[in-house]
Amino acid sequence: MNRNLFLKEMRRNMSSLITWLIVITVLITVTMSVYRTFMENQSKITGMLSLIPKGALQFKGISNFNDLLSVLGFYAANNVIYMMVLGSIFAIVLSSNIVLKEEYDKTAEYLLTRPITRSEIFFSKIAVVGLNLFMLNLVTALAGFLCMELVKKGPFSITSFLILSLYTLLLNLLFGSIGLFMSTIVRRAKPITTIAIGMVLIFYFIYTISKITESISNIGYLSPFRYVDMNVVNPSYRLDFWHLAYFTGISLLLTGLSYRIYKRKDIYL
Amino acid sequence: MIDITDLSKTYGKARGIENINLEINEGEIFGFIGPNGAGKSTTIRILMNLIFPSAGSARIMGMDVIKETKRIKINVGYIPADANAYSSMNVREFLLYCINFYGVRNGEKRITELAGMFELDLNRNIADLSLGNRKKVSIVQSLLHNPKLLILDEPTTGLDPLMQSVFFELLRSENQKGMTVFFSSHILGEVQMLCKRVAIIKEGKIIQLEEIDNLRKKQLKKVTIESEKTLNKELFIFTGIEKLITLSGNNISFMYSGNINELVGFLSGMKVTNLTIEEPSLDEIFLHYYRS
Repeated sequence: MNRNLFLKEMRRNMSSLITWLIVITVLITVTMSVYRTFMENQSKITGMLSLIPKGALQFKGISNFNDLLSVLGFYAANNVIYMMVLGSIFAIVLSSNIVLKEEYDKTAEYLLTRPITRSEIFFSKIAVVGLNLFMLNLVTALAGFLCMELVKKGPFSITSFLILSLYTLLLNLLFGSIGLFMSTIVRRAKPITTIAIGMVLIFYFIYTISKITESISNIGYLSPFRYVDMNVVNPSYRLDFWHLAYFTGISLLLTGLSYRIYKRKDIYL
Repeated sequence: MIDITDLSKTYGKARGIENINLEINEGEIFGFIGPNGAGKSTTIRILMNLIFPSAGSARIMGMDVIKETKRIKINVGYIPADANAYSSMNVREFLLYCINFYGVRNGEKRITELAGMFELDLNRNIADLSLGNRKKVSIVQSLLHNPKLLILDEPTTGLDPLMQSVFFELLRSENQKGMTVFFSSHILGEVQMLCKRVAIIKEGKIIQLEEIDNLRKKQLKKVTIESEKTLNKELFIFTGIEKLITLSGNNISFMYSGNINELVGFLSGMKVTNLTIEEPSLDEIFLHYYRS
């Protein structure tokens, strides 16, 4: 890894990271502030929720209306979408641009002609992606934790909360690796931000449809969102080994492939 | 300093460069001439490890340009044809970012010295710079670490004549201190001013590799004839006449390489009223090689 490049990339992405942090933290805080009102009016709201199709609640990880009465259940059902979808969009936009931007901005000729190997460039850049995603998840999870502590009516499982946060980070890292891979296989150097965001939304749509429509529930397995277990109020909630293997395996595979391609890629400007 | 052997690059079925062989000596200023699309930038980009060759090899300072690219680049400065620096930085930030890759001591001093030479405002944002000023930034960044080899790809595009002159003076001065210069251009005048040797590249192949002086002296003469009679092409089928340049009425000019006495003998039956035999300009020599 090259310190000079790493610091430059961190500085360059700092304002974007701060913006996303503020947006997600504000959304979490606003949503959690509703929890107390929700609890005070739980009988009315439970009545209203009973009108909602079961599938619509299932896709939010709610198997039972009572799940929402737990602060962690409420947090998982209402906030994880911000951290999962918005966090994944941040991840894929950042990673799909971090290497490719040097090509379409025509700055690669300045970078690749320095005494630095392509491996150093690649690993400096993915270190920036990794650190940005870690910071995003850490701060938003902390914000979620503090909000839950402030509004809770009873204790909640910190272990379950940590596992859910880890799932979110792993999902974001997976989309980070997808963005990186996409950026290394494109032939023409131009921004792929729209395609990248579209990919996150398509995967989320597939996941949502599969949860709502039982007859096509199997297509949900195509979406990485399917492998995030959001049923946090389940007493046996744990980090599933195969899901962990799925996230780490695909992330490492795509990162490894991206590295191999980038090492031998012709840089046309 | 640079050793290129049978270097080729193809883009699918499209031609890039074909079997390029070049040897550039330490301490020389070497010109690489050809029009746009001839393969100059492709060759340079392989040297700088931006693209990979389809065949052949290239070495700089005895090191392979692919395997030992990092070690090579410690001692190489490069000016790209398209000068796009990071638009979010100002000139000082960009130059400091560049120099930090080399671990140069007193980097700020070197930056100030070179920026002063090119009247470059270090506090201006790169996004606000004109093409000429961006080119100056590109020149300065290439010299920050006192490289042993400088590779230039069309370096003067956008520079005003005054700055071109400052740049050439700087190149001569650095060359006298031992720096080797590999100068790619399609402007023959600047190559003629600076370079000792030159390679002419055409459609991906080196068609001529020569010292500038020899290129001029190589018996290639520009001959202009005025005659009493109307002249036509058929009259000028003669060994050594390589290229008719102009033909209009009683006047003709052509490039000739061969024995002057034989040419004079050949022309004696043509009722010549005026005959001029002169050294062709470098542009004419280049066009001659390029069109032949």
